[in-house]
This record gives sequence, C-alpha cells and structure tokens, in this order.
Amino acid sequence: MTEFDPRIIAFCCNWCSYVGADLAGTSRLQYPHNVRIIRTMCSGQVFPSYILKALELGADGVMIAGCHIGDCHYVSGNKKAEERFRMLLGIMKTLGLDARRIRLEWISASEGVKFANTIKEFAREIKELGPRNGGKE
Amino acid sequence: MKEYASFLGCIIPNRYPGIEASSTRILGHFDVELVQINGASCCPAPGVFSSFHLDSWLAIAARNIALGEMTGKDIITMCNGCYGSLTEASFLLKGNKELKEKINGILSKVGCEFKGTSKIKHVIEVFSEDIGVKKIQEAMNTSLEGVRACTHYGCHFLKPAEMKKHGSSERPRLLDEIVEASGARSVDYKDKTMCCGFGGGVRARNLDVTLDFTREKLNNIISARGDCIVDQCASCHLEFDRGQVEIKKIFGQEFRVPVLYFTQLIGMGLGMGQHELGLDFHSIPAKPLLDKLNGGRR
Amino acid sequence: MTNIGIYICHCGTNIAGMIDVEELARKAAKLKDVSVVKDYRYLCSDPGQDLIKEDIRSMDLDRVVVAACSPRMHESTYRKVLSEAGINPFLLEIANIREQASWVHSEKEKTTEKAFDLVRIAVAKVKKDEPLESLPADVIQRVLVIGAGIAGIQTSLDIANIGYEVVLVEKEQSIGGRMSQLGKTFPTLDCSACILTPRMVEVSTNPKIRLHTYSEVEEISGFIGNFHAKIRKKSRGLNPDLCTGCGECTARCPTKVPGEYDEGMGKRKAIYTLFPQAVPNVPVIDRANCVYITKGKCGICKKVCPAGAIDYELGDEIVEEEVGAVVVASGFDPFDPTSKEELGYGRYKNVITGLQLERLLHTAGPTKGEVIRPSDGAVPKRIAFVQCVGSRDEHANKYCSRVCCMHAIKNALLIKEHHPDAEIFIYYIDIRAFGKGYEEFYKRTQEHGIKFMRGRVAEIFEENNGNVVVRADDTLLGMVMENEVDMAVLSVGMVPRSDSAKIQKLLGIATGSDGFFMEAHAKLRPVETLVDGVFLAGTAQGPKDIPDTVAQAKGAASSALGVISHKVLELSPLISEVDERLCRGCGDCKDICEYGAIELITLDSRNAARINPALCKGCGACTVACCNGSIKLRNFTDTATFAMLEAVLGGEA
Repeated sequence: MTEFDPRIIAFCCNWCSYVGADLAGTSRLQYPHNVRIIRTMCSGQVFPSYILKALELGADGVMIAGCHIGDCHYVSGNKKAEERFRMLLGIMKTLGLDARRIRLEWISASEGVKFANTIKEFAREIKELGPRNGGKE
Repeated sequence: MKEYASFLGCIIPNRYPGIEASSTRILGHFDVELVQINGASCCPAPGVFSSFHLDSWLAIAARNIALGEMTGKDIITMCNGCYGSLTEASFLLKGNKELKEKINGILSKVGCEFKGTSKIKHVIEVFSEDIGVKKIQEAMNTSLEGVRACTHYGCHFLKPAEMKKHGSSERPRLLDEIVEASGARSVDYKDKTMCCGFGGGVRARNLDVTLDFTREKLNNIISARGDCIVDQCASCHLEFDRGQVEIKKIFGQEFRVPVLYFTQLIGMGLGMGQHELGLDFHSIPAKPLLDKLNGGRR
Repeated sequence: MTNIGIYICHCGTNIAGMIDVEELARKAAKLKDVSVVKDYRYLCSDPGQDLIKEDIRSMDLDRVVVAACSPRMHESTYRKVLSEAGINPFLLEIANIREQASWVHSEKEKTTEKAFDLVRIAVAKVKKDEPLESLPADVIQRVLVIGAGIAGIQTSLDIANIGYEVVLVEKEQSIGGRMSQLGKTFPTLDCSACILTPRMVEVSTNPKIRLHTYSEVEEISGFIGNFHAKIRKKSRGLNPDLCTGCGECTARCPTKVPGEYDEGMGKRKAIYTLFPQAVPNVPVIDRANCVYITKGKCGICKKVCPAGAIDYELGDEIVEEEVGAVVVASGFDPFDPTSKEELGYGRYKNVITGLQLERLLHTAGPTKGEVIRPSDGAVPKRIAFVQCVGSRDEHANKYCSRVCCMHAIKNALLIKEHHPDAEIFIYYIDIRAFGKGYEEFYKRTQEHGIKFMRGRVAEIFEENNGNVVVRADDTLLGMVMENEVDMAVLSVGMVPRSDSAKIQKLLGIATGSDGFFMEAHAKLRPVETLVDGVFLAGTAQGPKDIPDTVAQAKGAASSALGVISHKVLELSPLISEVDERLCRGCGDCKDICEYGAIELITLDSRNAARINPALCKGCGACTVACCNGSIKLRNFTDTATFAMLEAVLGGEA
C-alpha cells in the first residue's frame, strides 16, 4: 500500500507569489515536492474553471496565490480573485467537492518563508484529507 | 450580574486570605459574583515549572483551566503568577494542535479536557473593564485623600507584552488609574516596574538575592515618601509583607511600609475595616494607615 | 505538426546536483512532437546559447523549451536566442527547475519526477503559444525625478548633462534634502553644505532641469516610455517670480514656531526659508501659523516686501508633465524613538536624537554650533550616545540602519575637539565602520579618548537636576552599570518616509518587508523596480550613506537613460485582444479594466470592445469578466491552461 502523495497545483501570479516562490528557492528553503506551479500574470486572471478543471483531472489540492490586497500589480486583480474564490467556495459542496481542497493565499515577492510554509501546511492538510475517492469526490 | 470562576492558587488560601476576602466582597458590591473551582491545584508556578519540564507545567495548568471551564464561566485569578501560568499555557495550547492533543492525552487519564472555551483574566481587568474607573470613584464613601500609594505591577501581568496586551509594559497605567479612582494618590518612584524579587524560584533558592531586590524597592518607596505599597499579585504581596520581616532579620534594616492588595485599598475607600479586609493576616501592620483614615470617614 | 527542442541546463551542480538530468532528458525525449532533447552545463553561456541556435537552424525547430533557472533570470536571454536563430521569440517556454525544484527539495527521485512534470507543463504551453510581434511605441525622452535630496540632484545632473530634459519634483520648499541638514560629514569632516550647495546651484542653473519645488506628484499614468504626471505646485503664499530673496519678510515676521528643519531644536518664523543657501531662495508662508491667514491680523510681510511679491490668496497650480522614465529618490525619515519608552525620549528633556544633535552642531543651526542641553541651556560635559535605537530591534525594525555608528562617532569627535574636557560614552552592540576611511576614523576617535561601552542600553531615567542616568549592560566587564550624564543622544535609525505609501500607489512599485522600496533583484538589479521604467535611488530604497547614495543615483541615471535614449521602444505584446466576431459589446470588460484600456466601438450595427495595445498591461482581468470568452490574454489562454493541466495531471504529452 503506497503512501498517499498528493498532487497540488498552484497558480502563482507573476509579480508577487511567483517571485516569492523564487525567493524561497534562492534562500534554499525546503518544502514538500507535491506542488506544481503554473505561472499566471495575475491572480485575477485565474478562471474558476481552471480550478475545477484541475480538480476534475485529478489534482488533490489547488492553490491560487496572489499579491496582498492593496499591492496588486494591476491594482485590484487580487480583489477579483478573492470574490471569485468566495463564490467558488460556496458551490464546492454542490459540486460534490471538499472545499478544503482549494486555497487562496496572499504572498508577496519578499515572502519566501511564507511561500515555503504555506506549501508545507497545505500539503500536510491535503495529505490528511486523503486521496479523492476517484468518482466519489 | 456577572459571574466568574475564581482560581485562587496557593498563596491566597494559605497565607493571605484577605486578598480573596476583600476581592470577593468588593466585587460583590459591584454585582460581580465569584464561583469556586473545585479540585484546583497550584497553577503551577510559571517560571519554575516551565523551566524544568514544559509538559508537566502545561498539563498541570491545563487541568486547572479545564476545571475552570467545567463551571461554564470565564476564569479570573488574583495572582500575577497564576495569571501568567494559565494564560501562557492557554496561548501555547491554542496555537499548537499537536501539543494540545498531547496534553489532553495526559489529562484524559484524570477525566479532564482542555477546550479553550473560558477566557482567563486577572481580577484587575474586571475592575477596569466590567466595572470601570467611574463606578469605583462614585462608590467611594471614605476619603483616601492624602494617602500616597506606590503601585507595584509585578511582572507576569504585563509581560510578554505582545501576548498580554495590557498597554505599555514600560509605563503601565491600569493599576494607577484604579488607585486614583479610589481617591488615593499614585506616587511615582524610582524603578517602579522592577521585579519584587520573588519569582523564578529565586526566593526558594537564594533568599538573600530576592531580599536585595525587595529592599531596593522599599528604599525607593521610602525616598518617594510613599505611605504604602499597593500591589496586584499575591506573590509580590507576600514578598513585600514577609520580606520586610526577613530583611530586618538578615540585613538588620527596619521598614514598616504597609502592604495592600489593590482591592484592600478600594475596600478602605468603601469604609471596610481591618478585619473585613483580612489585614490581620499581614506581618506588617496596616493599622497606622487605617488610623490616618479614620478621621476622614464620611 | 511541430518541432520542439528541449534544453536542460545543469547549472553546474545547482540543478544537476539534485536532478538526474540524463533521466529527465530520456523522459522528455518520449514526449510527442519533441524533436530533440539536449542537456548542457551552463545553457545561458555563449556556447550554450549557440547550441540552441544551431539546433534551431539545422533541425528546423519551431518552438523551444528551456528547463533551467527561473524565467525571471533569463527569459529575455533565450528570447533573443530564438530571434537570432530566426524564429519568433514568443515561441519559448521556460520550466523553472532550479528555484522551484532543485533548490527547494531534497529527494533526487521525487525532484526529477517534479522536473519532468514542469517540463511537460512547459511543452503543453509552448504548443499553444502564438508568434507575437512587439509593439513599437514612441518614447518621450525626458525623465521625472521624485525627490531632490542628494540622490535626486545627482541623478538629475547626470541625465541633464548628457542632454536630456529632467523634471525634478521636490516636496519641500528647497532642494537639498537630509544632506542639507548635516553639518560635517564622516569620515572626512567635509562640510556638508560646501559639497552640496554647488550641486544645488548647478541644478537651479541647468537649462535641462525643470525644477518644481514645494510640489508633489499627485497622479501618474502610462507605461515605460510614456508616463503622464500631474504635479501639484503648492502655493507659497507669494509669487516666486517677483520674490528677490531679500529676506525682509522673514526678518520682520513676528510669529515664531518650532522649526521642523531644526528637528524641533529651534524656532522659525511663519514666513521662512529652510536654510541660507536654499534653492530656490524663496520663502513659504506657513498657512497654519500665519496670523494674517488664520486671524486676519498682521500682514507685515506684505507691507515690507519691496517687490510686492506677497499674495496670501495665491492658490495651488497643477502642472502636467510627460516623461519616459521615473526615478524615485524620495529619501527617508528618522526613527521616532518615543515608542521606545524605556529610553525616555519625549519625557526627559535631555534625551535627544542624533539628528537633533546634528542641528545643534551645525554652525548655521539654532545654537550656531554650540551644543547646549534643552533643559537649562547648559553646556553638557558628560554625554552618552545610545546606538541602534529603533534598529536591530525585534520590537522596532530588524535591520541595521548602516550610518548611525559613523554618525555618532563623528559627532562625538566633533564635540570632543571643541571641548577636550568632555567625557563621551558611546553605548554600542557592534560598531559598523565599513566604508572607505571609516575604520581609520573610528580608531582616531578612540585615540581621542572617547569611551566605547559595549552593551545594550536597558533604560534611561532622570535625576532631579535634569541629568539622566543611562543603565546599560557592560558586556566586557560583565556587569550592569549606571552612568549619570548631562545629556543622552539616541542614534535613531532610518525608516521609510511616512508618505512612501502614497508614492507606492502612484507607481505600483513594491516595498520590501522593511518598508523601503524594493529593487528588482537584491544583487543584480539594485536601481530597477519590477515596474518597467521606474527606478530607485538613495535612501528610499534602504539605509545608506552619502557615497553609496551618490553611486546609486548615478546608476539610476544610467538606467533611466537606457530607457529614454531610444526614440522607440518595443512594448511587450503579451496583452489581451478581442475577437470582434464573438464580442457582444456588453461592456463588462471595459468596467473591470483598471487602466481604461478598453473602449466600446461601433462595428457595423453592433458594439464591440476594442483594446488599446499601448494601455493594456496584460493582467487578464477582462478575460475572466468576459461572458463568452471573446477576449483572450495572448499566450495565457484557457486552452493553454487546460493543456498544461492535462499534461501534468492526465499524464499525457
């Protein structure tokens, strides 16, 4: 019985969280390998359908990371991301999905430590949630 | 009417029941009732226990909190040490899920569980928040004018400042405001925020070091022409009261500064007497102070 | 059918040490449409780049994936490689297998697996990428410099002397900044005014510098090469063109208030200039304290002005400027030590800050260079300096403010030279004397008998006669010591200016965790920000001394020139575009666009959205707002994202 190794997709915005992830790298901070980062220009560019598609294709967890509110490179893209995320949380149950599998996080370009810790925490949580009973969830 | 579960610790029931008596009576005057916590033990002494064995400290403290939670009320303490021990244990357990599970595992053996449902407050917070300085002022019926009170905050109530959040830990105001509300004058003195010397097990291990601290504070209070010390901690209270006797014995220096717990001072302002306030249990007589006031009874 | 080339970089052992590059290459070669997979030690090197170029030409590759360090490092390098090899530079994707894989994980097998996933993602995306052409945009060949301290001044002069116009905006009524407040500078004991004022005069007389003093930038819009700024020139209460700088108004003004320029150590009039060599040498009426403006009485300045320049009713003026690049040189504020309650600043009169002492020592300052203590005007003979106030502090700022050690040492020496019988103590944790001549200066100061006490000051309290007692841990003696002195000087650190948030919002630049403006890369891009066309100079970017400030200012000038010296710039084509056939003209995209880049146009008989490519910043917000998917963000489309997700989750190529 192989141990559950979750697959997590993280959409990171080009200006803040992606840079924060890079900073975690240059600082050699270690975090679980489970995450695959997809770069977007802005967290506000992440369609809710991306998140659902990822889950549909078998991702165990999906994270969207953007700039702190007030710091969005495109002024309010992250606010839009927040609204959409909230809406999505609301319908997760109806879709038969566990809302704890998606997460919205604000990580700035200088928060390498926060990036690493967030991945550690999220990976641990998803691991605890266990695999998605292929079809049941 | 507000109700709180009262955690007494060790020093108050064993040495200074006047602190409990005066606090209970005066809180009652302001419509705050205290209920007992059955089976509580020593808090345990924060500096000592947490430096020896973290889990033992946490388990004993968590048990006390759990017993308090069983009353369904928020918990108050009258001793800074107990306040420090319970709030810091609660903070640690609430912030760390694994630690909480571990400690609750230990507590399950005695049929207890720490849930974190009761707030933990120092009794002085009840006076400043629930009752308020204005009500205290209005309730005073005996003039304390002319009483020069030197306040002593102690350590565990104010610090660590980020956790305790009672305003500035360098220039605190809480106890001074309550003292002034009672009609006495809070007099500044050198090194007001200095420790009394009791804590961290020093009193048990190196009494002369402890008394050196106490003596310095007393000297500063004398220099400032203070009439009494007004404290908010049972441990500091013991230190200043018994300490003066010990200082005379060991250093040969005599002090006769009355030591009052702040509710005992408020009690004086409410016209309560020596016996009601439990001042009989003090080594240093407070009678001189009472005599000074008796003339001013309204 | 497409021919993709995949290039895996070892980056020495940075990648190859944690990722099995051969295994990765083997796996990658099996992906569909991949014609060649090669690995190389240092792909960004010339031979590495040549390798890719050669393959593109000889194997007819049409798309390239590079698996190496973060795209933020070399995306532009590899794009150029593609251009030079003859294919569209936007048909490139980079898999970040260093910063986001080899550097952050420790199990070789799992990391190699992850690297393969990242390559799969990149391959899926590159297949969906479309060839794009950069948009040419005309460049406005002028630079806006915000802040006219020594940094702003230096940047402006460097740019102007090459022949380009500079718009220099200064918030205060005179240029010169913090350096003008200084007396003598370390380590040479150069008189600050003597080296600064010639530069100030140069600025005022340079025909290429358009100086707006007592002004603030209110709004900036646009993009690199094309910024549009709205500047508010605040009213001085007088007409600067008529003013001759005779100073009669200041001399006759009856109102005195504490002076901000003197850090509260002296008084100034309600109509005043900052210092004698102010540029421009035109005063300002302090509207809050002017008796005429507040109470309708006095009016003496107007009566005595020989040039008739006073005009109380004069309003602010709004000026609009167009520039191609912006340099932020807005400076710093000193840390306010009131919050360090244990040190007694604001409670005890004889506890002052380093900058306040600086003003006392200044020969043109409020006491004409004589250091006297605030409580009774006596000359202090025993002085304690407290280092690291507000710096290196978990409860204040964690960083070191860099200049305070040298500043205190310099001032201690100056006082000692003036009063050889003075006893001066400097309480320090570490002495930072890092620059040229600094260590030698430190030694000289020690030889003059200034006592260096190693230990953090715990508390300062007052004795009855105004003297203060410094209680500190003397770590070398291993004891707690109390030292009664006449006056204590707190060496406060540098903090970001209180209005830096305003500038941040104006330009959309980032601040670091310390609050100072963030450079694009800590080591290699010290004067750029992440916003193209906006640069940083001086203490606005972080604490530094004058030599470093000037060096950085010159760097910023050079970078700004790099932008505006071109007549035309290529703008990134990674913007949104509307498929006008599908667009319903609902206008939701227009409402959501922060940059006003979308407008509704009439096409035949219906409305459709049209994006202005010069204004679109490529954020993609409109694409999500669009109800029927008629707007796409080029190369960041839905199909691309779905393809990437399928590649990594579905296990398909």
